Amino acid sequence: MNALPLILLIEDEENIRSFMKAILASNDYLPLEAGNAAEALLQISSRNPDLILLDLGLPDLDGMELLRRIRQKYSTPIIVVSARTFESEKVDALDAGADDYITKPFGTSELLARVRTALRHAAEKQSSLHSRHEGRFTCRDLVIDYDKRRVYVGGEDVHLTQNEYKIVAMLSQHAGKVLTYDSIIRAIWGINPSSDNKILRVNMANIRRKIEKSTAEPQYIFTEMGVGYRMAEEDA
Amino acid sequence: MKKLFPLSLRDSLLTAMILGLAALLCVLLRIIDGTSGDSYVSLVFLLAVFLISRFTTGYFYGTFASLFSVLAINYLFTYPYMAFNFTLAGYPLTILCTLAVAIITGTLTTRVKEQERIRSENEKERLRSNLLRSVSHDFRTPLTSIIGGTSALLENDDSFSQEQRIRLLKGVQEDARWLLRIVENLLSITRMEQSSGSIKIDLRPEPVEELVEDTVIKFRRIHPEWNLHVILPDDFLLVSVDPLLIEQVLLNLLENSLRHGKSATHTTLTVRNDSTHAIFEVEDDGCGIDEKLLPHLFEGKGFSAEGTNDKQRNMGIGLSVCRAIIKAHHGTLTAENAASGGALFRFTLPMED
Repeated sequence: MNALPLILLIEDEENIRSFMKAILASNDYLPLEAGNAAEALLQISSRNPDLILLDLGLPDLDGMELLRRIRQKYSTPIIVVSARTFESEKVDALDAGADDYITKPFGTSELLARVRTALRHAAEKQSSLHSRHEGRFTCRDLVIDYDKRRVYVGGEDVHLTQNEYKIVAMLSQHAGKVLTYDSIIRAIWGINPSSDNKILRVNMANIRRKIEKSTAEPQYIFTEMGVGYRMAEEDA
Repeated sequence: MKKLFPLSLRDSLLTAMILGLAALLCVLLRIIDGTSGDSYVSLVFLLAVFLISRFTTGYFYGTFASLFSVLAINYLFTYPYMAFNFTLAGYPLTILCTLAVAIITGTLTTRVKEQERIRSENEKERLRSNLLRSVSHDFRTPLTSIIGGTSALLENDDSFSQEQRIRLLKGVQEDARWLLRIVENLLSITRMEQSSGSIKIDLRPEPVEELVEDTVIKFRRIHPEWNLHVILPDDFLLVSVDPLLIEQVLLNLLENSLRHGKSATHTTLTVRNDSTHAIFEVEDDGCGIDEKLLPHLFEGKGFSAEGTNDKQRNMGIGLSVCRAIIKAHHGTLTAENAASGGALFRFTLPMED
């Protein structure tokens, strides 16, 4: 009987592994370790972890390649740990099936929030509820009523256009997770995204002016520079 | 390798235009002047050849223009008009002279361009060596404190009170963050110099508000207590930027206000715009910048003035990186003391249409 979620850390730097392990262990997770890709694949097949934290820089195999190999066989949620170099790397990882990413160096709370979100989304997916189109989403003063297709801030009805509503609803259904510009554009406008995502950026600017108190310090929808947007997690 | 005779549309058009103007000028002069003298014709074309050699690349256009001029003068502007006459006295000399002008000007121009390239190369080299020098020095201080602090904790764990332990760890954390900031600045430099060593950046349109938002979040993560006030325009502004580099500039300026503003208690980040540029201003309410330092602020030398501590030394690197980044974005970065007495840093970025 093992109720604690099993988390596999794939990271070749022992010091980083050891502090991540310490954080996870002291927050009621059961950490497993792998220092290279071969070890990682072995651990996955034998232990079947609930979540994988994958650092892309590994000694024996390109991290992206390992990500693809894991995805061919498993649907375990994967959070990519990326050294802050290029945004395109993050987008590629998300496209290749990663569920989220976290950028080095990160703090304890950030790591735990990502882990929590990924585990929650995985659980929702399993209970086949993953795409919520009914009920409500509540995050502080923001309420989204999926039945009426309306958004309220502090009880006031916010008048969003069709597309603005669709964007907010989509982000809220994946709250806590980053959604790439391309995936949002594909879902909302049904078109193949070009390199120009201005249409989405303008819509987002309008949404923010309607729901946020300050566009410089938003509370509900956050920018992931060069990658996409992330909605704050729903109130517990 | 550089070609001696590179062809380009721009240079071709320029050559055609200058030669056309020269011919037109000669025709006009002749109409005004009657038929009296052809003396100016050669001079006008000589000037045209000179200009073409100066403002085109390589030798092709200059040589072409000189040959063309010689023929044009012969055909159009010397008797018999509209016919070639190669029996004129001194004609080979004219050809040689114009050719010589073209080739010599071409050589000089190439040399001037080469010198410009060397100068910008030198500037980069200076930035790099300044960075290396300051960085290796600046790494040592925080590393000493990190190694000292951690060994103290490891070796004398029992003798410390909880409070002392936390204070030591906080020191280690702060110094590690400090190192990180230096490293981020170095990364920014390498990010700009990826392709073939020349400063080249990948620009794309980004909304100003998202740039500021991401920066503020990163700043807040490190300094949650600091009083930062942000004022953004209501309009939706797009700027052509490499977002990570611009965030680096903003972070450097914000951190500077908190570290160097001495008596500073809060920082204001304001963004506004004129018709072509977005204007970013970071102002603190601290002691301002020493007037003596103002002219040398962006040179990356760091400050050896007495009364400054180690952390202040790094301001120089950060600012020289900032300026290099803004310059690569075709903007300007300036520093001054605000009317209120605090330091005011301002940079501009060209807006997307």
